[in-house]
Amino acid sequence: MNETIHRLNCYVENKPGVLARIVGLISGRGYNIQTLNVGPTEDGTVSRMRIDVLATDKVIEQVILQLRNQVNVIEVTSRRM
Amino acid sequence: MNKNEKRTGAKALVESLEKAGTEVLFGYPGGTVLDIFNCLPEAKFQFVLGRHEQGSAHMADGYARATGKPGVCLVTSGPGATNTITGLATANVDGIPMVVITGQVPLSLIGTDAFQEADTTGIARGVSKHCFLVKSADEIPETVAEAFYIATHGKPGPVVIDIPKNCQQALTSAQYPERVSLRAYHPESTATTAQINRLAKLINEAKRPVLYAGGGVIAAGAAKDLAALAHRAHIPVATTLMGLGSFDEHDELALGLSGMHGSAASNWAIHESDLIIALGVRFSDRVTAKISEYAKRAKLVHVDCDPASINKNVHADLGIVADVKDVLTTVLSRIKQSDHTEWLHHIAEWKRLKPMTYKPLHKEVIMPQSVIEAIDKATKGEAILVTDVGQHQMWAAQYFRHNRPRHFLSSGGMGTMGFGIPAAIGAAFARPEASVVAVCGDGGAQMTFEEVVVAVEHKLPVTFVVINNECLGMVRQWQELFYSKRYAGSILSPKGRCKNERLEDDLDYGYLPDFTKLAEAHGAKAYRVIDPAKLEATIKKAVASRKTSLVEVIVEPRANVYPMIPGGKSVTEMVFG
Repeated sequence: MNETIHRLNCYVENKPGVLARIVGLISGRGYNIQTLNVGPTEDGTVSRMRIDVLATDKVIEQVILQLRNQVNVIEVTSRRM
Repeated sequence: MNKNEKRTGAKALVESLEKAGTEVLFGYPGGTVLDIFNCLPEAKFQFVLGRHEQGSAHMADGYARATGKPGVCLVTSGPGATNTITGLATANVDGIPMVVITGQVPLSLIGTDAFQEADTTGIARGVSKHCFLVKSADEIPETVAEAFYIATHGKPGPVVIDIPKNCQQALTSAQYPERVSLRAYHPESTATTAQINRLAKLINEAKRPVLYAGGGVIAAGAAKDLAALAHRAHIPVATTLMGLGSFDEHDELALGLSGMHGSAASNWAIHESDLIIALGVRFSDRVTAKISEYAKRAKLVHVDCDPASINKNVHADLGIVADVKDVLTTVLSRIKQSDHTEWLHHIAEWKRLKPMTYKPLHKEVIMPQSVIEAIDKATKGEAILVTDVGQHQMWAAQYFRHNRPRHFLSSGGMGTMGFGIPAAIGAAFARPEASVVAVCGDGGAQMTFEEVVVAVEHKLPVTFVVINNECLGMVRQWQELFYSKRYAGSILSPKGRCKNERLEDDLDYGYLPDFTKLAEAHGAKAYRVIDPAKLEATIKKAVASRKTSLVEVIVEPRANVYPMIPGGKSVTEMVFG
């Protein structure tokens, strides 16, 4: 399967350690994050992360499911770039 | 306590642990948890001092595996915390609920390379379900409640709470919450009616169905429901290592262990099956062998509480994210009484042709497999059997007739050597009336032997059986089969172990301690067995004594674990030795 750039949009609770957990989940599998943007949303207790990763669809599917399992992750969506 | 009355964060922590239902706290003191230890004499739970933080973590794990309740562990910062990492990883991959509290240097010193400072949440993140770093005493009660909630909801797992020393000393009036509500974590999920109907239809129409049960069946408390479905629909049951005990192996529908060292009947049934109903499993590489060949004739139904485990390793034709017990109870009424006599005849033939068996290599030398059979007989199959990791673990899986849940405790996913001794102690605290037998190899026993003294101190009726084959058996077996018999680093004593002589001239080959003397030095009663005729009686005597005891069994060192599916091969290439 071909690797393509996937853009993950994560809405997470704005708490310390959340970014590290999410980035760790991706980098721990040996995938390189190409772009990472983190910023507040209108609701100050929620942050939005936009993460671009080069990986296969299958890997991204797994990563999304595992991200959704995280205690501080509210929502994850993705699209191929 | 008056609602506005203040007490220290440490006192609030102990109160919160009591409210969370803690009965036993395992741990080890140190500088950054002294305020918490100062509150322990008044605590309503028992504190158990391990002798190494890894031991304390595995004790909490063993307690959790034996009961289903979270094991709780308290250690200091820095090395105390890092020593629990193996314990966290072991519990994490097997889905065992634990709450581990670590001390941390005061907030003002974090990041200064303070004495015994380590970035505990940073280090533990990858091997735990969740980590908390507490920032004020006011957060402590709520954090404890959330930690217990997270540890036990969804796929269970270990949760770390890192508490800086100044937060333990600060005063707070914060109360333990009545209920926990987490904004982003809602793991509960139920099967839809359509999924249940489809599952029922698949089961009712299958010709060669197999139920495939894992640790999730035990975690969900669904063993009785599994048996009910198996009997009504007349379906044989294969189990994973973590699933052993979820189905009584005395039952004619039992296929036993599946996977790399599983029974021929179990692996071949899955290979020939037209419907696999996988319950609470994660399709580990140790089970599927060559993934492209796994169960390729079958429709596969996968029921699990963890959405990330479905379609992870194998494709599921029907994936159901739900509690296994709920699914089993709901589907049962839609299942027709079936008769799969022909399919079961076929399986019985495999069982007859390739039973789980071994041949003695020498009639005066004990075969390691017979040690497990002797434990089964000596305890009438009622023991809580705890294992370490290696050959003996596989023999314990193969040759004990597992018959009830939470009675086979073993490090499955992580394969942690050193797990057996402390986990058995944790199980003995959880089930004081039970007979706990820990089976260890001579390698793993040396990794955590210091914990034996804890069993002695608390007069626990644990029998440690050290199967001594003078080598790191599983490593030796792989070197024999796949590395041209070059036994680098795996031979612990070259010869003479049968009489347990100390060989002055052979020290460069390695040296094993005298396990009986080691046990006696720790205050345990010790036995050594060399004669096959005395094996069962000695184990019986040790278990019946209800005292902490160790039985060192000198066994045939060349014995290998069979059957075996070599790495990367499929079930059709099973090796029988």
